[in-house]
Amino acid sequence: MSKQLQKIYFDPYLFSSLFLLSTLGLFFLFSASNADLDIVLKQFFYIFVGFIIMTLVSQPDPDIFRRTSGLFLIFSLLLLGITYLFGPEINGAQRWVRVGSFSFQSSELLKLAVPIFLANFLFNKKLPIQRKEIFISLLIILSCFFVVFRQPDLGTAIIIACSGLFVLFLSGLSWGFMGGSFVLLILSSPFIWNILLQPFQRQRIATFFNQDMDPFGASWNIIQSKVAIGSGGFFGKGFREGSQTQLNFLPETETDFIFSVIGEEFGFIGVLLLLSIYLFILLRCFYLALNARDRFCRLVIGGLTLTFAANLIINLCMVVGLLPVVGMPLPFISKGGSSLISLFFGFGIIISMSTHKKFLPQ
Amino acid sequence: MIFEERQIEKNNFSSRAILLFGIVVLSLIAVLVQVFSLQISGYNDYQLAALKNKNYAVPVQALRGEIFDRDGEALIKNEPTFDLITRPNLISNIDSFLDEIQPVIFLSESDRNQYKKLEQEKAFVNKELVLKKDLSEEEIARFNVRSFNFQNAFIAKRYRRISEYPNIFSHVLGYTSRSDDEFKSMPEIPRSHWRDAELVYAHGLIKGRTGLEEIYEDHLSGSPGKRVYEINARGKLVQSLSFIEPSQGADLYTNLDIEAQKSAAKFLGNRRGAVVAIDLDSGGINVLYSSPTYSINQLSNGMNEDDFQTLINDSDKPFFNRALQGRYPPASTIKPAIGMYGILNNIVNWDFEMKDPGFFELPETGRVFRGWRKGGHGKVNMHKAFLVSSNTYFFSLAYQADIEELSNHLFSLGFGQKVCKDCYDEDQALVPTPEWKYSVMNAGWVKGDTVNLGIGQGYLLATPMQLANYAYLLAKKGISSEPSIVTFENTKKSLKIWQDDKFDDSDWNKMHQALLGVIESDFGTARSIRDLKQFQVAGKSGTAELVSLDSKEAYQEVRTSELLRDHSIIIAFGPMPNPRYAVSVVIENGESGGAVAGPVAIEVLKSLINE
Repeated sequence: MSKQLQKIYFDPYLFSSLFLLSTLGLFFLFSASNADLDIVLKQFFYIFVGFIIMTLVSQPDPDIFRRTSGLFLIFSLLLLGITYLFGPEINGAQRWVRVGSFSFQSSELLKLAVPIFLANFLFNKKLPIQRKEIFISLLIILSCFFVVFRQPDLGTAIIIACSGLFVLFLSGLSWGFMGGSFVLLILSSPFIWNILLQPFQRQRIATFFNQDMDPFGASWNIIQSKVAIGSGGFFGKGFREGSQTQLNFLPETETDFIFSVIGEEFGFIGVLLLLSIYLFILLRCFYLALNARDRFCRLVIGGLTLTFAANLIINLCMVVGLLPVVGMPLPFISKGGSSLISLFFGFGIIISMSTHKKFLPQ
Repeated sequence: MIFEERQIEKNNFSSRAILLFGIVVLSLIAVLVQVFSLQISGYNDYQLAALKNKNYAVPVQALRGEIFDRDGEALIKNEPTFDLITRPNLISNIDSFLDEIQPVIFLSESDRNQYKKLEQEKAFVNKELVLKKDLSEEEIARFNVRSFNFQNAFIAKRYRRISEYPNIFSHVLGYTSRSDDEFKSMPEIPRSHWRDAELVYAHGLIKGRTGLEEIYEDHLSGSPGKRVYEINARGKLVQSLSFIEPSQGADLYTNLDIEAQKSAAKFLGNRRGAVVAIDLDSGGINVLYSSPTYSINQLSNGMNEDDFQTLINDSDKPFFNRALQGRYPPASTIKPAIGMYGILNNIVNWDFEMKDPGFFELPETGRVFRGWRKGGHGKVNMHKAFLVSSNTYFFSLAYQADIEELSNHLFSLGFGQKVCKDCYDEDQALVPTPEWKYSVMNAGWVKGDTVNLGIGQGYLLATPMQLANYAYLLAKKGISSEPSIVTFENTKKSLKIWQDDKFDDSDWNKMHQALLGVIESDFGTARSIRDLKQFQVAGKSGTAELVSLDSKEAYQEVRTSELLRDHSIIIAFGPMPNPRYAVSVVIENGESGGAVAGPVAIEVLKSLINE
């Protein structure tokens, strides 16, 4: 028994690949920030804390997440409420809540809370899922989406919606229902365009479809991003040698567009290496999801992994010009403590769920 | 849940997870394909776009060529001066910077304001801005000692376009001035980058405006070099990447003769007029002078508004180039041409004699055309008619002329057309024809008009340049070339041969004899200048009437108004018998041709011959 207690729950594959990824990220950030050591050290601190959090979170039995999922969701929503009431407005958006000298982007928690709550809500339901359960799930997803969307933070809102929908889908949502919803979504798109989207969001989408429209205004970011990536060529221009990055032609190099920095300075080779690490992490998580000990764990690991994947893919597609620009960081690389902490937290949950074996079959 | 149900659930989960994971992998592949198309297929385009973002190429001004006289002495050169140049992109507070530099380099209030204004307007890169031009040696020394205090300023050599003879050569050399908008784009350098050009001239991007500076702009200006800067997204300069030297403009070698030009200026004095002299051997223009003049040094290097207005409003019109644009009746200087016409058309020959009663009466209308001497010159043949400048002889000759043929004849001698190869804005003056009179004056040509042409009055107008060209042609007996200011060593100028079998060598000799007599004989109208020189000169003087009058008494009344007085004109060539130079002189309102214009022509010939 004492041996059991001493055991540390740990996944060497995920730990080493995440370590590699976030260490590389520090180098990229150093270049992207024009050698701003303050930024890099801060990021290093968050990564360090992140690994500790991940390790701590992976220790308890996953049952604790199931039992606290409701509380967790309520806590997250409360934090959003505090943000809404007291959060400072930065660049026209209220996203941050301050605790002492630290600021935290409160919506990040919902990325975890929503899938865990839904997994708990759905894991013991009979297949196929009934209308009432779908309805409740969608209601939770949509309300969380709107709370964040109103901040406004479309990027995070989309990720939160995805996280919930993935769990819903994985838990056995009927195909007929999905087909119907899709048709409904298409039909309501004019409404979404005209009523829900902010003018600047509409402009981003418009410039995506016509990039020559306003090369020095709305299209500037995406054009410069493509120029940065394209001019990197096969081998890249070298560390700290990217003219697009270093001479500030590329915007938001430390956050949304850090992938363009990598593309410019490390070329196709660098991109290939980076994507391989991400793919390895995803493969590992996918394997863990398939082999999880019960339905709840399957749903949570699957949901969190796919949320991570959605986050990654939306960022990549955006900076290479396959999707309209939406605020979305590159996971583990972009500057930002909140995102890092919640990512590490999420991976902690995944590791906890995949390493704790069940003693009593249900 | 029972076991089977759990198995179904697990299978269901697995298939759905595999489906979503497949989509994830496909998306990553799509991203990779897109990155491939950007970095591998589109590499060249994007690399170019990235370079275009960061590279900012500016032209580097070339020094203009210098201009030399026929002995290789510089007429216009590039003279270095020292200017205080600042780097505005390194200056954080303009006012405190100016306060700091004030004790070292004196700045007037207007200097300061001008600088601040330029700083506001100045271009994108804003790398250099002149604070003060033409520093004194004392200022340079003071600054050099303290230069470590001023990282954002330095003293640089800047050139000015300077002539040692700014006034006497003003019309022929011309001036340069700033031109900020008329530059063509070069490879990699769009037009807008010209405002950031790297300058060698204190006055910025300059361009020839008049005279040789304008005519030979392409020859003189050279071609600019190129400097490529790296700039960041805010347009701030990061570093210089590459530099291609400009190629200096080619020098210009002219036929101009400083001493002769000086003589022209000295002996014309402050009178309005012009002198043109041509080297008979090469057709090179040795003197091209118009009076009054202005200073090209001032005009090229910045003249204050008041001085400029004074020049513009001067009633003597100093900007007007009388040598090339002044239209004057050639008066009696046209008589050799009329005489040639008479012989060519068998109206007269050298032996033909007629009585000169002092006037000619037009048979058709009885209108009387008076000679310059009451009572006339008695019996005159052509030789004597030239010497004494008999009006009657040429009235009666012209009376028998066909106006179309006479006009063509004058045209063949260079009248009514531009004759100079490289003169700036030369006027073609006027050879009248019946068509011209009809279209301009809406009146028919009358015989009296032709008769007036016989003594170079009426509608016929010529420039001093055309008169010199005409003297050149007479001196060379019809074999001349196109007069030019610049020497053309490589391209041999083709000769223009005026030839007519009916005017042969003996006719030319007789013509030369007669024109020699005008100055050298006891009866010549220009004999007053005979003793001014050691060599013999042939020529023909003229006095151009501005108002047509019947009597000397009437003229005495008219001449009280200076601007209505006759113009004094002479054409001459020498030394005889083998002439080397031809010259024309016009002095506005100078009255008697021989006595007034004559000495100027002689002095110019003396300078040219006695060098």
